[in-house]
Amino acid sequence: MNVADLWRANSVHRAAYVDPGVFALEQERIFRRAWLYVGHESEVPQPGDYVLRRLGPDEVLLVRGEDRSLALLHNRCAHRGARIVAQPAGNTRQFRCPYHAWTYDLDGRLLGMPLPEGYAEKIELGLARVARVESYRGFVFGSHAAQGPGLAEFLGGLASAFDNMLDRAPAGTVSRFGGELRLEYRGNWKMFMENAVDLVHPNFVHRSSVEAARAQPQALAADAMTQQGAQMFLANGLRAPEWDKVPLHAYPGGHVYMGGFYRSGVIAPERADPAYERYRAQLVERHGAEKAAAVLAVDRFNNLVWPTVSVNSRFAALRVVQPLAADRTMVEVQCFRLEGAEAAMHDLTLQFVNLAASPASLVASDDLEIFERCQRGLQSAASDWIDVHRGALADRGQPDGSTLGSGTSELAIRHQFATWLQYMTR
Amino acid sequence: MKDELEAFVLAEARLLDERRFSDWLALFAEDGVYWVPTNPRQASPQEALSLFYEPKPLLAMRVARLERPDMHVQSPASRTVHHVSAVEVGDLEVRSALVVAEWRAGDARWFAARVLHRLRREAQGLRIVLKRVDLIDSEAPQRAIAVPL
Repeated sequence: MNVADLWRANSVHRAAYVDPGVFALEQERIFRRAWLYVGHESEVPQPGDYVLRRLGPDEVLLVRGEDRSLALLHNRCAHRGARIVAQPAGNTRQFRCPYHAWTYDLDGRLLGMPLPEGYAEKIELGLARVARVESYRGFVFGSHAAQGPGLAEFLGGLASAFDNMLDRAPAGTVSRFGGELRLEYRGNWKMFMENAVDLVHPNFVHRSSVEAARAQPQALAADAMTQQGAQMFLANGLRAPEWDKVPLHAYPGGHVYMGGFYRSGVIAPERADPAYERYRAQLVERHGAEKAAAVLAVDRFNNLVWPTVSVNSRFAALRVVQPLAADRTMVEVQCFRLEGAEAAMHDLTLQFVNLAASPASLVASDDLEIFERCQRGLQSAASDWIDVHRGALADRGQPDGSTLGSGTSELAIRHQFATWLQYMTR
Repeated sequence: MKDELEAFVLAEARLLDERRFSDWLALFAEDGVYWVPTNPRQASPQEALSLFYEPKPLLAMRVARLERPDMHVQSPASRTVHHVSAVEVGDLEVRSALVVAEWRAGDARWFAARVLHRLRREAQGLRIVLKRVDLIDSEAPQRAIAVPL
């Protein structure tokens, strides 16, 4: 089957989710071309610092060089192909292969090897470099394609998600902290990105956590961390007319965000809490009252940077999707310290992410279950086509090139597939 | 007293296997916490993300949910065996090794951990102030975890 035939007006062929051949093509045409999130500059602050990451199909090292520039190197010895680094992070002056001791500098240039006289000519093989690496205000992305739009152009309308996270930091910078949560499900990677902006599912998928929170009203009067968790569980209980007020904004390139969350009191509204009041005062000091209010009023929940990043600016967290196979996906969850804010604010970030995004979360665990059920169901040839046209008649083009839909529209899925098809067919 | 603390920890594990979640919750002190960190070296929940970090009011929500029929990730329900061994009893503190076997919806999985129980003697008997479960693969990707370990 031709990949262009997997999408027709407002419906998608199930092969897009279950076919290993389609997955292999995605690896080549999407994950070896698009900008993919690889890490944050604060993870490699000093020369010689490195972290081991995935960049699409490959394992790479994000390295801070002697001159403080960033390098993105394949973690594969140029000699016999052994994986050089096995620790998730560290600091080094050089990379040395454990097999025959070929040694490389922080830019991946070959420094030396045993028995150079055994070769007819001087060997200059280095560690393969990823074609492009760029940082958007500290958030580092890599692309396996030498050609293509720059990172800022690629991010387009969704660069604002990172801007807003930085604006929320009293010192104007953020840094990674708290390690990572990792989730896995036996389902296709696209399901995560579709579900993150599907506002019809919460009332059904998350009903049990909504009711459990309603049965414990005393939690809303407990400590700030518990209160924040209970609010988050309760927010999934809104009905369709309320979700309709949460607009979806779809930008060229497959990016989508949903707004209106905090304004309509949908989730974790700002609290009258002394730590929060001190934080707000810090932001007023940094930005002035008017801009501080505007920064805090940005009320988006998930901001999706296609193909695989979900940014939550308000709770300073990222979720990064790692496709492993057509029917296997890992999600990495990371959070950030808003520099300059007091420790109580970081504690709230951590606990929000624990409760919302852990594989044991009352919310996320049911999402994972549903992804696995979809994958199982789609194995069946009962019907090949999946309809995603709900709300299509209400899509509204905007002057900035984006499309606006209501929170209950399947606009986001249609929009993601439009970009998917562009990448897959060229 | 050594026998009493060991028996308490074994009974706590059995309540989970028997899915008597409300009775299990009642073993926690009002200020008790159930904690499964992502990093075995972390000294406090403020240092790193946690798979579970649940003071009793949040744990009560988890238990209330486990008793509902519309908890999709427990339809069908898990069956578990908590194998508790290498029990070392200190002063209102119990350290043990834990292996949990879980069977659900056609899949078997295993968890292995070191466990710390901090207990307090209250009017009604022993109560859990902290149950900390350090998985050997605490940083590994996990499929949905629906029942406490």
